[in-house]
Amino acid sequence: MAASLRQTSGLYFSVPFCRSKCTYCNFASGVYPASEHSKYVDRLVSDLSAAPAWARSMQVTLSRQVDTVYFGGGTPSLLSGDHFRQIFRAIRNEFMLTRDAEITVECAPGQLSDATLGAMVEVGVNRVSLGVQSFIDEEAHRSGRLHSRAQVLDDLHRLRSAGINNLNLDLLAGLAGQTLQSWRESLSVLIDTGVPHASVYMLEIDEESRLGRELLSGGARYGAELVPSDDAIVQMYEESVEALSEAGLKQYEISNFAQPGRESAHNLRYWQRKPYLGIGLDASSMLPAEDGSVLRAATTADLDEFLKHSDRQEPIIETSWLGPTQQIEEAWFLGLRRNAGVSFAALRKEFGAEAADPSIAIARRLADEGLLSIQRGKAALTSRGRLISNNVFAEFLGLGRGWSVEEEDCAEAVAH
Amino acid sequence: MDSSLLRNFAIIAHIDHGKSTLSDRLLEMTGSLTAREMQAQVLDAMDLERERGITIKAHAVRMMYKAKDGITYQLNLIDTPGHVDFSYEVSRSLASCEGALLVVDASQGVEAQTLANAYLAINNGLEIIPVINKIDLPSADITRTQEAIEQAVGLDATDAIPVSAKTGLGVGDVLEAIVHRLPPPAGDIEKPLQALIFDSWFDPYRGVVVLARVVNGRMYRGQKIRFLSNGRTFQIDAMGVLTPKPVAIEELTAGEVGFFTATIKNVADTKIGDTVTDDEFPAAEALPGFMEILPMVFAGLYTVDSHEHTLLRDALEKLRLNDSSFFFEPESSVALGFGFRCGFLGLLHMEIIQERIEREYNLDLITTAPGVRYRITLTSGEVIEVENPSRWPEPTNIEKIEEPIIKAMILTNEEYVGGILKLVEEKRGKQLNFEYVTPTRVMLTYELPLNEIVLDFYDRLKSVSRGYASLDYQLAGMWTSPMVKMDILVSGEPVDALSIIVHRDHAYERGKALVAKMRELIPRQQFEVAIQAAIGSKIVARETVSPLRKNVIAKCYGGDISRKRKLLEKQKEGKKRMKRIGKVDIPQEAFLAVLRVGEDAQS
Repeated sequence: MAASLRQTSGLYFSVPFCRSKCTYCNFASGVYPASEHSKYVDRLVSDLSAAPAWARSMQVTLSRQVDTVYFGGGTPSLLSGDHFRQIFRAIRNEFMLTRDAEITVECAPGQLSDATLGAMVEVGVNRVSLGVQSFIDEEAHRSGRLHSRAQVLDDLHRLRSAGINNLNLDLLAGLAGQTLQSWRESLSVLIDTGVPHASVYMLEIDEESRLGRELLSGGARYGAELVPSDDAIVQMYEESVEALSEAGLKQYEISNFAQPGRESAHNLRYWQRKPYLGIGLDASSMLPAEDGSVLRAATTADLDEFLKHSDRQEPIIETSWLGPTQQIEEAWFLGLRRNAGVSFAALRKEFGAEAADPSIAIARRLADEGLLSIQRGKAALTSRGRLISNNVFAEFLGLGRGWSVEEEDCAEAVAH
Repeated sequence: MDSSLLRNFAIIAHIDHGKSTLSDRLLEMTGSLTAREMQAQVLDAMDLERERGITIKAHAVRMMYKAKDGITYQLNLIDTPGHVDFSYEVSRSLASCEGALLVVDASQGVEAQTLANAYLAINNGLEIIPVINKIDLPSADITRTQEAIEQAVGLDATDAIPVSAKTGLGVGDVLEAIVHRLPPPAGDIEKPLQALIFDSWFDPYRGVVVLARVVNGRMYRGQKIRFLSNGRTFQIDAMGVLTPKPVAIEELTAGEVGFFTATIKNVADTKIGDTVTDDEFPAAEALPGFMEILPMVFAGLYTVDSHEHTLLRDALEKLRLNDSSFFFEPESSVALGFGFRCGFLGLLHMEIIQERIEREYNLDLITTAPGVRYRITLTSGEVIEVENPSRWPEPTNIEKIEEPIIKAMILTNEEYVGGILKLVEEKRGKQLNFEYVTPTRVMLTYELPLNEIVLDFYDRLKSVSRGYASLDYQLAGMWTSPMVKMDILVSGEPVDALSIIVHRDHAYERGKALVAKMRELIPRQQFEVAIQAAIGSKIVARETVSPLRKNVIAKCYGGDISRKRKLLEKQKEGKKRMKRIGKVDIPQEAFLAVLRVGEDAQS
């Protein structure tokens, strides 16, 4: 108990607004009129204020000490300066931001006004993530991005002038029309900017995005026919790992690279299973319960549904309690995403050797197959294992089918 | 009951021509069931029967009908199975009737299966009443259907009864015709008991329930009876009829139909077509037409999870309690572990058994390619029978191979003859007859190797004829053929469960198509997988499944975790349903890939 009281919280704010919807996007974001923004921000503020009471009612621990804040989207940079001021007043009312808290805002290049930037600096934002995806304008446009390379470079200049130097750029491997050559160009422009953090994503093909649906159904819209092959995407990714590393951006997670000390503290929470509170549409929370289980809760992804209710409890559509077995499973499939890997000793300490050892045996088997490497009591993905990491992670699922699963089902049934 | 007041009849119809609907209507109109009690198609009681719209087991329902002459008659409707796999059962059901309704869809005409069963009925001496159904449909053509019946079946159809089983129109006329046009049974109540078994099933509370038609004599509760085929004796402990609700009775006399139980534990003791007699005053001879039914199609059944092997055995044993026509014996496969070689009456029978095991016993099955039983003369002079490719002798030891042949009757529309001729040629068919049964309908009679039929013939036939061809067949001896065993190698290792027996001249083509289909069915693995077809040491075809390049969740942040976890669980679940052979995960469908080879040819 003492440990979780000492633990800090992370806050996540979901801002689902966009000027246009990108073809590869699989998030609950959409294009809405600006009039909705204020209504939505009011709702963020009221849910934030209601969160401590909600946590008490769920019998989970929500620490008031906050050391990471993250605005994700959608396009949070579309909010006005006053919106940011309003939200931060609420944060400081309900929580205590630590002195060195990491405060990140995701921005779309070319969609950050001076007024908003000024307010962001004023309220303490110290990290910005820019969704570039490609520095080749044609590729970016085809996928629905509205910016150009020049705008990205200009935004970087403005951000740095405003004092925000902790910067991340996103690139996406697998965009329609992308070639190995164009990818290398994007990558080298990114490196030249000197940002301390980069995210490189391989295109995910699923039913959640327009491009994904098109690819799955064999259609040709959104440039689906121009999407590079798996082989090409893998090569883009592998080259990135190497080139970024040479440029001093070390891989620390499957898709994330940073100069030492500039890793995203907020995103590390997810893979280290540290508590966080999600506020807004399609936002997830993970909070420890007093009985040793862990609560995962998520709000609806339907904006109308979300705004219709005035109570934080109402739009929560998923509530599950993870028992020890599921926590161990998550420790693996989240922990192995990090290059630092999973420490056997830490796992045994947290869950006890008896519970942890069967999964450690699985890790040893996967190491024999060349998918994991084990060094100094820590298991981490090999480069081959990383590319088929879903196969690796799946090995750690279904470790035990005990009370925890039933609990989850009950909880879900109640929540519905 | 006075046998002059009895009428026993069957209904002969093609699938979907309305047999079940007509039966339901008859039950309703005789007051056997109130409309409220009716669930559509009462007689097809098994889920599978209802879903597929076919009858697998025979039933007999007693209806009391007060005719227009004021007299009440006892009508026994004997519902017969309706598929070529079960033609022997059909013949026995028909043998327990004096008459039959020949139901033909007014817009579809006569189908091969109807024709075959109509001939069977005529040969059994049954009086036939043609019934033209679905006259409520706009496409109904009564005159043409009458002509079709006359030309195809050779029956006078001028007094065919037009009905709509759906609306009930004309069904009253059918009841009157049953009473006045069908003869009463001719048996003698004073003679020693002879009763024909036409179906039986296992009931967990009552033991084996036997459906029988008393031909001569009487059968009563407490009677000691004997089965003539095996000499086994039992004492009848209960008798009844279905109305269609079961009703207990004390006796059945000559001409009547009903069921009895006699603490019979094994359904195999009650053979369809067997004669029941009185143990003390036995009949001198058995009723004609009894045959031991033999399985014709063989396949291996395995559980995906090899730990469930004993559960499969239990399931098979329980199913056999109810269905003595299928047989099984343990076999083992290097690839699949312990399983069972099963014999079925036909492909449909195989599918039914498989589906029942999966549904009723909740087991995931792998079925190997179906095959037939070959008779092989070895160079030593010894003659062996082989139905399992893994027991195929060394080619150098084989003197002669004989394969079972069927005589197939295919009835189709003229326009599809071209495609069908091509198909039967491809399937090594030999034409016996080509006949126009009506100006636009053609009856093809062919000899075909059964081996070719059990693969994909039926689906292919349906596809080349757009469903306008029907098939009936019967066993017709053996051919000497140069058959060879084809092995399938996955990553260089032969997988015994994938071996098939093919005609030498077709081996190359079949092998190529088979490995191509397998390449589609086997998902990408962590490494390259070669799939080869080989005869002996000679590789005849090869395909490669290229390795899985990436399977990565790129973004996994706070909101993704539960969602991605479900994705991973789904992937894992899919993998669990596959069989790991060596290091390769092979999905269930791949073991039946040979059945799906024709799919490309179709499209």
